Amino acid sequence: MENTILVVDDEKDICEVLDISLSDLGYNVCTAGDGEEALRVFKEVNPPIVLTDIRMPGINGIELLKKIKQENRDTEVIMITGHGDMDLAIESLKLEATDFITKPINDDVLGIALKRANERISMRQRIKAYTEHLEELVREKSERLIEAERLIAVGQVIDGLSSVTQNIKEDFDGGITYFNELPCLVSIHNRDLKIMATNQLYKERLGDKIGCNSWEMYPGGEENRQRCPVFRTFNTNEGQRSREIILDENGKEIPVIVHTAPIRGTGRDVELVLEITADITEINRLREELRTTRQKYQQLFDEVPCYISVQDRELRLTETNRRFEEDFSNEIGSYCYEVYKHRDTPCPECPVVKTFEEERSQQHETVVTSKSGEQYNVLVWTAPIQNAEGEVTHVMEMSTNITQIRKLQDRLTSLGLLLGSISHGIKGILTGLDAGMYWIDSGLEKNDQERLKKGRDALQLIVGRISNLVLNLLYYAKERELSWEQTDVLIFSRSVAHTFELKLRGRPIEFSCDFEPLTETFEVDTGVFSTALISILENAVDACLEDKEKESHEIIFGVKQERDVILFNIYDNGIGMDRETRESMFTLFFSSKGSRGTGLGLFVANEIIQQHGGSIDVDSTPGEGSQFHIRIPKVHPKQAVTEYRQDKKFHKT
Amino acid sequence: MTKKIMILDDDPVFVDFLVDLFQDNGYDTCFAYNAEEGFHVLDSEKPDLITLDIDMPKVTGPLFYIKYKKIDELKDIPVIVISGLHVPHRAIKKVVAALEKPIDRDKLLNIVKETIGEGSSS
Repeated sequence: MENTILVVDDEKDICEVLDISLSDLGYNVCTAGDGEEALRVFKEVNPPIVLTDIRMPGINGIELLKKIKQENRDTEVIMITGHGDMDLAIESLKLEATDFITKPINDDVLGIALKRANERISMRQRIKAYTEHLEELVREKSERLIEAERLIAVGQVIDGLSSVTQNIKEDFDGGITYFNELPCLVSIHNRDLKIMATNQLYKERLGDKIGCNSWEMYPGGEENRQRCPVFRTFNTNEGQRSREIILDENGKEIPVIVHTAPIRGTGRDVELVLEITADITEINRLREELRTTRQKYQQLFDEVPCYISVQDRELRLTETNRRFEEDFSNEIGSYCYEVYKHRDTPCPECPVVKTFEEERSQQHETVVTSKSGEQYNVLVWTAPIQNAEGEVTHVMEMSTNITQIRKLQDRLTSLGLLLGSISHGIKGILTGLDAGMYWIDSGLEKNDQERLKKGRDALQLIVGRISNLVLNLLYYAKERELSWEQTDVLIFSRSVAHTFELKLRGRPIEFSCDFEPLTETFEVDTGVFSTALISILENAVDACLEDKEKESHEIIFGVKQERDVILFNIYDNGIGMDRETRESMFTLFFSSKGSRGTGLGLFVANEIIQQHGGSIDVDSTPGEGSQFHIRIPKVHPKQAVTEYRQDKKFHKT
Repeated sequence: MTKKIMILDDDPVFVDFLVDLFQDNGYDTCFAYNAEEGFHVLDSEKPDLITLDIDMPKVTGPLFYIKYKKIDELKDIPVIVISGLHVPHRAIKKVVAALEKPIDRDKLLNIVKETIGEGSSS
């Protein structure tokens, strides 16, 4: 009812006139004859402008003004005053009347007053609108501000998250390289179940999946998305562990173990999930590779034909290979010198000690003793072992058993000596033959019987030497397979004596036997052992022949029993031997001189006796004679048969 | 004057043989089986020639040679070395000849004849 005016006057005429005027002006007019009616109408219509007479009966204009103002403060009330109502007019103004006009009402004045009232109304409306609008704006702007602040806050969270993500991503790309080195597919997923970052292996096995869905790599597709571990992690807020099947780039199914770890944001909610997928076959492959490599290494370590041990600075064994354990010890922590050399203190020339000092490989030859007491010649090589800082913390010792080689070397040496000895002996034989032939030739020529006899004797001697040489060579050359027999001592001894007697025929030497009446038997290779005894008997003959001092010579061959040993005695009163000769007579070093043949005979005789587990002792006085004591056990000990200790003859230690 | 040859060798058979060989060819002989004996014999018999075995035990052959060369009146006696081993020994320098066993009889007799002439100058 914007254009409504209420006219209030007790004079009806004035109301009518005003009504027409105001209607002309386009207003909607309501009238009232007095204050009370006016109030009634006012309450009903609520016009914006009220035109009221001041002097009225009942509620006068001032009262009405107050009441209207009580009803609606914004109502523009114009007072109609008469002359002399100036006080009332001013009072009404004080009471916030808009204006007053005096009677008689001039149209222009009325127009102006209305105009002013309208202006005030519109101004008020505008203000009101502005105010309301302003409030609206403020609210709007406040909302936006809050929104902005919220966005900022959210933005910060996101920033925070994305920097975490970035860090993780950077970890993938560079930084913590183990993510790339794990034999696992590592990926990071966000709340939308999208893959945000993957490690190198993931890219290789499954392709470039950044931005793809978390559930894509599991068979079953989108329907199965709630089953995937990432989903479950977001759902339960907890890390998951499960066995799954995944599809690789080519759609091939791969069995895996999946672990997930939730990554929380600034709140308690899980913002990201870390998914670690371990390819079971990959793990198995690596495991298998490790196993075979280990096995290869272990095989090499154990089967190499060396003794290998690893020692620390204290010379304690920290590792040994199988061969070392078999022959020496398997006690880790024991001292090398105890186990290897049976010593209490480190060896004086220990190559391991030297290796620690010089930090270089060393070489050393020595003799070691096995668990069973056997001695081996070994050639030792060492190698320093460094830790990560390059310090030598351990030394590896590798020893090759060269006992066989050394034995062969000894054998070759002895063969060399043998050849030297034999060639000398053969020269002696040839010389003797020469002499014999000369005597026979000249004897025949001169018809000298004495000379002929000399020749014949010489030849017989030489024939003996030749046969000895041949027998001894044969013995030396062939495999020492002896054939043991239980033999009656007396029968054996008599047969030896008989053979020897035949050789003595024609020599000016007395030969006698001195046998105890034994009924014993002993284990012996009869052929070989009788050769040995004959060699010694022949040596006695040579001794007698060399001795020019005495008139007559004799050889006594004795046999008796000493507890469980048979003692053979050969005595001669020939030229005798000095100490040096006695000590070297059974070695090949003893190069035979003069008429003593090759010297091989005594060497071989000694070997034979040793092989039977027996021994030889010699007593001799130069110029007087010699006695050989040969002891043979009745039952031959096993040990003597297995090894030939020729080396004992040549090692100077 | 019959020439005398001294035989120094430890093999009695060989000594016997050379004795007979030389005697058959008109020489006188004397002998010893080792160096020590050899000096005695050398001194008492004063031979015209010595046959020396240099592979006797204890290196006595070369020792004998060195020692006898130091004796003024004896050092000029000529020596023929007879050896079963390698020839010549480095200690023995000035020898008439060196022969290896088994010896060539004729060669030996020729060298002896060239050195001291015939056995008996009849």
